[in-house]
Amino acid sequence: MSSLIELENVGKRYGNIIALSGVTTSVEAGEVTCVLGDNGAGKSTFIKILAGVHQHDEGEVRLEGSPVKFNSPRESLSSGIATVYQDLAMVPLMSVWRNFFMGAEPTKGVWPFRWIDEGEAKRIAKQELAKMGIDIRDTEQPVGTLSGGERQSVAIARAVYFGAKVLILDEPTSALGVKQSGVVLKYIIAARDRGLGVIFITHNPHHAYPVGDRFMILNRGKSLGNFAKSELPRDELVKMMAGGAELDQLTHELENA
Amino acid sequence: MTANDAGETIVSGDDVNNGLSFTEEGMDDIEEVVPAAEASGDERLAYQGLGQRLLLRPEIVGVLFAVFLYLFFWGATRPFGNAGGLATVLDVSATLGIMAVAVGALMIGGEFDLSAGAMTGAMGIIIILLVKETGELGGAGLNYWIALPLSLVIALGIGWLNANMVERTALPSFIVTLATFFVLRGLKLAGSKITVDQIQVGRADEGAGFEFWRKIMGSVWIRGDHPWESRDLVYTVATTIGGVLLAGAVCLFAFRRREKLNPAGVPVLLAGLVGIGVGAWLTHSLDGSDWIPMVVIAVSGVVAAFGLGLWRLAPLSALAPKLPTGVLAPLAGSLALCGAAIGSALAFDADNEEDLFFPVTEQGLRGLLFIVFAALAAGLATMAVSRARATSPGTRALATMVVGLTIFGMALFVQSQSESPKFRTQLFAILSLAALAALVWSVMVSRFEARSAPDRDADRTARIVAGLGLAAVLIGVAVRVLFSVEAEIAAEDPSRLAKFSIRVVWFVGFTLLMSWVLRSTKFGSWTYAVGGNKQAARQIGVPAARVKTQLFMLVAFAAWLVGMLLAFRLNTIQAGTGNFEEFEYIIAAVVGGTLLTGGYGSAQGAATGALLMAMAQQGISFAGWNTDWRFFFLGIILLVAVYANGAVRRRAEAIR
Repeated sequence: MSSLIELENVGKRYGNIIALSGVTTSVEAGEVTCVLGDNGAGKSTFIKILAGVHQHDEGEVRLEGSPVKFNSPRESLSSGIATVYQDLAMVPLMSVWRNFFMGAEPTKGVWPFRWIDEGEAKRIAKQELAKMGIDIRDTEQPVGTLSGGERQSVAIARAVYFGAKVLILDEPTSALGVKQSGVVLKYIIAARDRGLGVIFITHNPHHAYPVGDRFMILNRGKSLGNFAKSELPRDELVKMMAGGAELDQLTHELENA
Repeated sequence: MTANDAGETIVSGDDVNNGLSFTEEGMDDIEEVVPAAEASGDERLAYQGLGQRLLLRPEIVGVLFAVFLYLFFWGATRPFGNAGGLATVLDVSATLGIMAVAVGALMIGGEFDLSAGAMTGAMGIIIILLVKETGELGGAGLNYWIALPLSLVIALGIGWLNANMVERTALPSFIVTLATFFVLRGLKLAGSKITVDQIQVGRADEGAGFEFWRKIMGSVWIRGDHPWESRDLVYTVATTIGGVLLAGAVCLFAFRRREKLNPAGVPVLLAGLVGIGVGAWLTHSLDGSDWIPMVVIAVSGVVAAFGLGLWRLAPLSALAPKLPTGVLAPLAGSLALCGAAIGSALAFDADNEEDLFFPVTEQGLRGLLFIVFAALAAGLATMAVSRARATSPGTRALATMVVGLTIFGMALFVQSQSESPKFRTQLFAILSLAALAALVWSVMVSRFEARSAPDRDADRTARIVAGLGLAAVLIGVAVRVLFSVEAEIAAEDPSRLAKFSIRVVWFVGFTLLMSWVLRSTKFGSWTYAVGGNKQAARQIGVPAARVKTQLFMLVAFAAWLVGMLLAFRLNTIQAGTGNFEEFEYIIAAVVGGTLLTGGYGSAQGAATGALLMAMAQQGISFAGWNTDWRFFFLGIILLVAVYANGAVRRRAEAIR
């Protein structure tokens, strides 16, 4: 059985700028792969390759064993890769259930008299959110009135419901408070337990470590390595994230200043 | 310093930022953050009563404004309130409304179309040029069966072009369609000069098939041509049934359901309904101002409401009436203002029609003062009742009763004062009905428990009942205004000449269709989505460009429809027809609750906005004021409505 997604020596150039090179990692069903890196480390490029926004020009991406190259976000989506972006792709003035089904509303009747099955949509939205352990007061509520964590959870539940095999989360906790981050981490676990492969992109090792099964650290467009959790103690991860030797240097400079 | 220490430094730094670093043990604490899904969580939502829920609808400002304007002009002018005035207002609102609904949908989708107004005239000119035969370059001489679809294709093409230019250039649609507007404006003027050497293009009736299509696009229903002797009977029956159903719906909305239905209430309810029926029949057969049917209706109304309560609603345990100053003061103020209204009516001469100061005659000033005092009194009464509501059911019943009696007193005064049948019978009847409603309400709140928790089943029943009631009332009113009786024709009553144009049917149909489309179809949902957050909608798989293209084509379709309605009605289209009307469409949509920035609004709101503007426009001319003031009033209406809409929307978002 091959992995859900495998990346082997994947690289990407924008003109003469090497945005990403030599990235190797894998995502298994029912596991969380964390991609860590500071600003400018290449996380966005990594996501965009998998989401079909950009195409890699080195190495190979394999989806369930066969090599793929996504030419558009739709292609990626229809292959079962759902990306939850930081800005969440939600319409604040619209209700939770409408956002949940946006673009794929269940309908009744025959064209041209085809209408949205509102009752069914509300029922499914409520039920799917509940399955993820998300407690929404009322699916008629506009998304704009939800908190950041709640919005994130709706976005995750939506991706899970629409048959995603792989869920890519772009910095889901970066704009959230402590408790909210905890809630989102819970949803990551919930998605994992439902058999999805999760790619969790973050710059916070303390968020990554408790939920991750596999860690890939990016720095300046290069992979610093791809580790299973057993190979990598927490402190080691934190240190790598912080940039090890570079940070020594920085600390030194700051102390002597 | 070792590398390890450096790592520690960062950990503590992170702790400062995040307050907490998650560990495996930490995850267990989070368990409590997420409550069990079984607790459906509705207890966190405060219950909103019917009034509150209605106040959060996007079109509420437009509706209230329209009711206010209608009442105002109904009092201030003669034609308002009779069939002729209504026909004119509807006629003006129809073409404006069709466009406002389409432009409103486009605005919900986040775009503008400034070429919409010019396009209506352009379509009228195009259809005439397509069917015209005379003259050297006079026209293409097609028949309507070919010309109509062809002109529609041209219209949709213009819409498609607008959309594509907006998409391709990524410029604001405001600018792109402004360009289209000028192009169309030039084409209309130059085109009509080149083809017919005039600044108008005429004779739509030269095309083959004109008679057939005029029935669909341009026919007119003249009231006097349709006598129907049972008209008033149908009107009375329909409005009575409608009124009763609406009142019942309000009770179902407002009161808590009984745990178990009590069949003993059914005969009481039926007895009350029979009584109301008898009362209505008496009104119909006796003179409208006779007091016997009124008493019968009032008593039966109370009985019926009580029966309904006995059958379905939960009884109240404690009344606890008390009168705190918070309730007493506005109540007393309201009574005093009623006195002031009566006083001002007695102080001025009702028959003096000379100008006191522009634009008011003494007669006008009298009416104005009366209305202002009465409106203030109504405001204070509302305040008293809403404060009483917060105090206790007993207080609420008492306050409502006082208000009801006051209204009835005013009704009697109005009846005793005026000679015109409009005030003598119509206003008297309306005020008496309001007083009756207050009376019934006061009995209901003193006997049954107000609802304090959401009840979806009761809401659904109430909504169906209210829908049926509204339909019955509308049917009744429609029958009343559409048909005449022999007596009116014989007496040469001016209202027999009222002309209802078929464009009103198009307006209503288009509004209902668009209301459904926006609410219940994918296209509608996507319209709100691309207007609310285009980027997000696109990311998640909404074909944003296609939706916008369809919206521009929808506006073009509406412009085509209006162009046809104009051509078949007027037979001649001026080169300038429709120019600059695009702003009126936008105003109508905005007054009706559409957000200028997109993502919020409704079709029925835009239609209400159009109706309101037509009322203002016609009201000013009916009142004999200088019609140059029309734009001045439109500006004021726009300003007030935008402000009020903003307040309503902010409240809606804060509350939900």
